[in-house]
Amino acid sequence: MLPEFYQFHHPTKMIYGAGLASDFSHELDALNARSYFMVSDHVINGLGLLDSIREGIEQGGFTITGTYLDVPQDASITAVEEISRLATETGAEGLIAVGGGSVIDAAKAANFTFSHGGDLIEDYSGAGTLTEPLKPLVVIPTTAGTGSECTLVAVIYDVENKVKLAFSDGFLLPRLAVLDPVMTQSLPPKLTASTGMDALTHAVESYVGVDTSPHSEALAVAAIELIFNNLVKAIEDGDDLEARGAMLIASNIAGTSFSHSMVGCVHSMAHATGGLTRVPHGVANGILLAHGMEYNFEECKEKYARLAYFMGQDVTGLSVDDAARKAIQAVRDLHKKMHALGAMPLNLREAGVKKENLKAIAAAAQEDGTTVYNVREVVAEDILVHLQNAY
Amino acid sequence: MPVFESSEKFNEVLGGFFRLLGDTPEIADKLLASKLIIRFNYTDPDLVLVIDCSGEKIEVRSGDMDTKAIVDMKMSSDIAHKFWFGKVNLTMALTRRQMIAKGPVPKILKLLPAIKPSYAMYPKYLVENGYGQYNIH
Repeated sequence: MLPEFYQFHHPTKMIYGAGLASDFSHELDALNARSYFMVSDHVINGLGLLDSIREGIEQGGFTITGTYLDVPQDASITAVEEISRLATETGAEGLIAVGGGSVIDAAKAANFTFSHGGDLIEDYSGAGTLTEPLKPLVVIPTTAGTGSECTLVAVIYDVENKVKLAFSDGFLLPRLAVLDPVMTQSLPPKLTASTGMDALTHAVESYVGVDTSPHSEALAVAAIELIFNNLVKAIEDGDDLEARGAMLIASNIAGTSFSHSMVGCVHSMAHATGGLTRVPHGVANGILLAHGMEYNFEECKEKYARLAYFMGQDVTGLSVDDAARKAIQAVRDLHKKMHALGAMPLNLREAGVKKENLKAIAAAAQEDGTTVYNVREVVAEDILVHLQNAY
Repeated sequence: MPVFESSEKFNEVLGGFFRLLGDTPEIADKLLASKLIIRFNYTDPDLVLVIDCSGEKIEVRSGDMDTKAIVDMKMSSDIAHKFWFGKVNLTMALTRRQMIAKGPVPKILKLLPAIKPSYAMYPKYLVENGYGQYNIH
């Protein structure tokens, strides 16, 4: 059945190719900006990834007015304000973000005040606060998971009040995303696994959520197939550029999918787990995905049965229930493979969660904003059973 | 042609409904737990309503522009009316810019399950209080 209404909006131009990050300046001609301020972090800089990007841009006749490297693990208000101030002071006309989700989100949020002035929280925190476009933002992801280069949301951590602030606006979408597998080549196996499982969770939850559409579903299944075919390869051999590239693309299209259809109870549990125990988001998603699928089994089994095929399962002649079970088992098997490779904890206990935390995690999961998009009501007592299974 | 003919009538109907929610423990307890102060800026007809959940009791104040709201929401009166019938998907309305929210949107989204029972209450409230002509069938 088709939704009564839906829209698909994806103004970010995506270019893909190995080595493209050092050779994309011709794309900047279309962006109406000659000078860019670069946002990244010390790890990326230490790996020498910024040098070739800078050279390529400058050879194309564009200017890099400065670089900010102090983006913390969770993009902070301080970092966002500094980026905006420095970009303005150095006379930049656009921003280039090179990094993972935090770096990209910091640059996206900085673009509010960099473009239009004002106060980040007072004027822009919320949804749909902009009436005019932002200055050009170019994004080069160095992880394959968040999909932040193609989502209309930026999440910033308010250190003082210990809360995450969400900014959501169609104008936040970057103008250009450069997907270069060379930029993810040095990503260690553990980060490759956790970010990859984050992308898989985006795709699965987007496919089965309450706001799905034919567009978001098509993207989700494409992402799922790419991830099942390439994630383990990328973990086993980080230099496999084909697998790295496939994961970057999968992350991008899963991001585009969930940017339209949102995520559900796996993210509710992962947000709660991360908030209370600091387990990294991708790790929590990786451990909890199969359990969240179990939670929604009755409501989603027809869709799971279809997903099983894209997860490489032979479902010929199987009942809907059995085919759906195969999809969940495929997710479990993928997770176990990553555990066997030493790339991911097997369960919440191994991830450092204490058993006495589970009740609080279940309560926080029930309160998470993502529960709105889950097909089944997220009730703490019911979700606790699945958290215990994941323990 | 908007559903409500005047700001006064809209204030009477919607303000009254918010007060009813404030007197319904099943809903009010969860709203009070959120501690939120929400300012609704309605247009066509224009009305400002502040729903203050920061105290021990929910307060509904019309025309209050002085209180510092945690979340500011802007929408047409027709969209607001339709919302309370459960006929507006909040997240979709935000995407379509039928609603604009300033402030911590996740805190608003978290309240959606809590206010679910109100969708059944609204049409009943309209009939019982002589506003049956505004019902959507």
